[in-house]
Amino acid sequence: MRYRVHHLTTYAYAEPVDLASHMLHLTPRPQPGQTVLSASLRATPQPSRVSGADDHFGNHATWMFLDLPHQRFEVAVEAVVEVAFPPPPPPASTPPWEQVAAGLRSGAAGSWQAAEFSFDSPLAPADRAAGLYARHSFPPGRPVLEGLLDLNARIRRDFSFRTDVTTVVTPVARVLAQRAGVCQDFTHVMVAGLRALGLSARYVSGYLRTRPPPGQEARRGADQSHAWVGAWLGPAHGWVDLDPTNNLVVRDEHVVLAWGRDYGDISPVRGVILGGGEHSVTVAVDLEPARAA
Amino acid sequence: MNAPAPGVPGPDLPGIDEMVDGTGLLRTHWRSVLGTFTALGRAGMAERERRLDRAFVDEGITSVLPGSAGRPWRCDLVPLPLPAAEFAALEAGLAQRARLLAALLADIYGPQTVAAEGLLPPALVFANPGFLRPCRFAVQTPLLHSYAADLIRGPDGGWLVLADRTAATVGAGYARENRRLLSRVLPEAFRPVQMRQLKPFFDIWQDALRRLDPRGRPNPTVALLSPGTTSPQWFEDMFLARELSCALVEGGDLTVRGGTVFLKTLKGLQQVDVLLRRLDGRMIDPLELEAGSPLGVTGLMDAVRQGSVRMANDPGSGLAEAPALSAFLPALCRRLLGEELALPGVPTVWLGDEAARAEVLRPPSGWRVMPAMDSRVAPVSPPALTPAARAELMARIDARPWEWAASRLVSPSVAPCLESQSLAPRPMVMRLFLVHDGRNWRAMPGGLARVKDEAEWLTGRAPPVGISKDVWVLAEEGSDLVGPPAPPVPALRLRRTAGDLPSRVADNLFWLGRYVERLDRAARLGRASLQRLVRTATLLPHELMELEVLAACLIEARLIPSEGVVVTGGAVTGLGEALLRSVQENGKVTRTFADVARLTENVRDRLTGEMYATFTATLRAARGDAAAAGRSLDGLTHGMVAINRFATAVAGVAAENMVRGGGWLFLDLGRRLERAWAVAGEVAIALDQPSARIEAGLRLVLELCDSAITYRTRYFDVLQPAPVLDLVLADQGNPRGLGFQLAQMHTLLDELGGEGGAREMLAGTAAGLLAEAEIIVEAVLAAPNQAVAAAALPPRLKALAAGVAALSDHITRRYFALLPAAQTLGWSAEAAPALRGAA
Repeated sequence: MRYRVHHLTTYAYAEPVDLASHMLHLTPRPQPGQTVLSASLRATPQPSRVSGADDHFGNHATWMFLDLPHQRFEVAVEAVVEVAFPPPPPPASTPPWEQVAAGLRSGAAGSWQAAEFSFDSPLAPADRAAGLYARHSFPPGRPVLEGLLDLNARIRRDFSFRTDVTTVVTPVARVLAQRAGVCQDFTHVMVAGLRALGLSARYVSGYLRTRPPPGQEARRGADQSHAWVGAWLGPAHGWVDLDPTNNLVVRDEHVVLAWGRDYGDISPVRGVILGGGEHSVTVAVDLEPARAA
Repeated sequence: MNAPAPGVPGPDLPGIDEMVDGTGLLRTHWRSVLGTFTALGRAGMAERERRLDRAFVDEGITSVLPGSAGRPWRCDLVPLPLPAAEFAALEAGLAQRARLLAALLADIYGPQTVAAEGLLPPALVFANPGFLRPCRFAVQTPLLHSYAADLIRGPDGGWLVLADRTAATVGAGYARENRRLLSRVLPEAFRPVQMRQLKPFFDIWQDALRRLDPRGRPNPTVALLSPGTTSPQWFEDMFLARELSCALVEGGDLTVRGGTVFLKTLKGLQQVDVLLRRLDGRMIDPLELEAGSPLGVTGLMDAVRQGSVRMANDPGSGLAEAPALSAFLPALCRRLLGEELALPGVPTVWLGDEAARAEVLRPPSGWRVMPAMDSRVAPVSPPALTPAARAELMARIDARPWEWAASRLVSPSVAPCLESQSLAPRPMVMRLFLVHDGRNWRAMPGGLARVKDEAEWLTGRAPPVGISKDVWVLAEEGSDLVGPPAPPVPALRLRRTAGDLPSRVADNLFWLGRYVERLDRAARLGRASLQRLVRTATLLPHELMELEVLAACLIEARLIPSEGVVVTGGAVTGLGEALLRSVQENGKVTRTFADVARLTENVRDRLTGEMYATFTATLRAARGDAAAAGRSLDGLTHGMVAINRFATAVAGVAAENMVRGGGWLFLDLGRRLERAWAVAGEVAIALDQPSARIEAGLRLVLELCDSAITYRTRYFDVLQPAPVLDLVLADQGNPRGLGFQLAQMHTLLDELGGEGGAREMLAGTAAGLLAEAEIIVEAVLAAPNQAVAAAALPPRLKALAAGVAALSDHITRRYFALLPAAQTLGWSAEAAPALRGAA
């Protein structure tokens, strides 16, 4: 499936900003199942310096430095991306979840890099309550993907989608207690719960197609930046992406921007500004199917 | 020796003695060392010990040992000698460890291929708070530039590494100070011993830093990035910056513009090429690392990544300090270097390993348990804990075993220490320092030994005070530390100014000048008031009026609160009490003392040792005398005299010792400005009288401006308004008068660097104020009734004082470049902490 991405982020400041430094994770990353055909990043006003590099996770990061006074900062992303993520293995064929956890803990061959995502991170620590919640999906000996699919479905069922009850730094324990939040919160809950069981899970940021395929119900979180979970199935099967907000296995409705341990590693726009006073931010996202050229 | 805590099993074998061998004989290399102490005798040693302690206090060298922050540093009188051959073996072993850790860091921050082969558990990288993800692929080789290790000598006589230090290698500066002061206090101990000098090591270090210049030029700008004056290691940062001839900067002094690091100076931005990092790597950049870190510099990581600045050590180097790493170094050494590890660590296991965990937790435990990845937490011996604390520790290990490590309880060797006038054997840990000179790792031929308490060693509880030892490396014939030839430095352009003074330093000096003067004014007003208050007889009418003026001046200067002082029917009540309160805790004078002490510390690297000693000694004396006043007005007078003495000492030392340039200029400017503002304000209050009583006001004006004698010499006993006002307002030759201050400010501002427009504007303002003072005096002189004219002056004088205050604001804005608060976007939902000047 081929998509055209439009992502416009606008910061408006009450007072002029004298100096601004931004770090952006806004370029879709190429990876198996996702081909980036074109991607452009345009900032207004024109930064005095732009640099880019791949970060630790292999995401592409962009740095921008602005040293002329401005009261508005706009970043527009245009990209064309082709996605066709391979189908997950038959769940029953995946190893028992305890075996996957043990391989991670010992740093066994093929699991060493994946083990990074089994440890605490600031926004998705291996939270006890999240672990207790997740454990219901993982009775002893259950194949890991079966447990993951069950957990993915439970979160969709148990949590209500509300945009007014959380912020980017709301702790997992709070989300769990109020059983409500947005895609980022559900992702953090699932990631934290899996980590508490000793499994590896990462936070994936990206987009979900704005209008669902014909005949299907509307998706949640489609007009915003989206987030979901990457879960580790062991060295034989690698990673699978699951969207707990919509109870989907990621196949061809999602475009991946970046992944990290949690939102903090890959927030789309992070910055330090001098001046500016009060600020407001607006984000407009559109992911439309594009015709193959 | 102290008995171990009850219930704690001792180590398997007792520690050996550094000084005597197993048969009770003195070891050869101690012979020449010990003679001096035998000759000194008990009393002699005690006396030298006192002198050494005092030397550290006088130098203001405070301790960095845990739990002893702010206490003076202490060095034991008896050094720890090391034979040449033994040191050579240590140097080779530590150099190998440094190479190994540098190679390991290069792998972890690079391809991670070796680590992923299974030689290192993933937890020690990915759950390690020292693993800074933004540093991945931003590697500059080598990642280590300096390295230090803590060592103990085990019961079999061999050295063991207790801890690797790869972040900021603190302590080399203290070692050098120990040597310097010990050789001053105990010169005779050095005569019979041939030992290696420490100075060449610092020369090698300085050259090595220059070689790090990303553009490979011979004289790059090198700066030491310090956490600042509030850090316990501030003293050493200052000392090192001086020893390595580099600028001492804090995050707020730097700014990154377009990927390049600059130092904010009075002249403008000056590019920085090499940063000696002494700030925690996690704190260096609020954009990519710890958000909201006020100590860091926004964009610094980007500059490092671009290679426009070289940072040593690399921000991520702290990862290698993880205590659990020690368990994996032998295998990693074989894999990464193809060599056997020459200098072993204290036997260590990682508790993420199930077998190791079972062994360690099985009582009785000869192990000490510690966090696997935080070297700052002292190890504890589980049997030494209370049952509840032990259970809690076990539960924590059980929940997250990979976060814990344990090391074998090994008795360190003991060395003689001076205690209660005799030598007692005490366990000790030695720290040695290495620096990479571009080709090889070089060790400082000396070090810092730390005397441990037996109980502390076993239980991990640190005593409130610690004592250090100077490590002497005995010289072999002809040995000397020689580095590769220093890079040639082209002839310098001659400079007579200090335009590269960081704006922050100028700011601090300016306010130091203002606060010292403010204290001086407070003491003068206080003394004048007390003189009148302590008289028992009824006050004369003019004295009453003078007290009223003085009280008004004190209130105006906010030295005492505006309520509480009452003047009624021939008596003043409350003034003495208000003055006494001003020197008590939270009183205005006490708080100004604290401001002066803080500012002095902030500019300490700009003062010579002698100046710093004079500043602090007289300040301490003044603060002590003032605080000792209690309820006694007489005692308070004594304190006020001490304050004036302090201010005079500062002025004298500054005048005689400071080069006339940026630093002195701002100190003097602050002082002149504060005095100009005070004189204008006080004269305004003193003249605010009915014209019939103006004479008393004039008399007081002369007293406050310390000008009565000059007046009498010039005009004998005839007191008239115009001559008095000429002397205190317009005469540019009277250093206590307004005219002098304004004329001096005009000169100073004119000398300041910077583009013409702003400088001329500021100097012009000072000249304008001076002209106004002269016009005021001329008007009084020409007036038919001088008394009436003088009595009408207060509004004009107040306007003059306001003009001086406005000038201070202009100077602040022009030279100290206050930046608006920085805020973080897209990360924290809460209000970001203010980061003044962080960008």
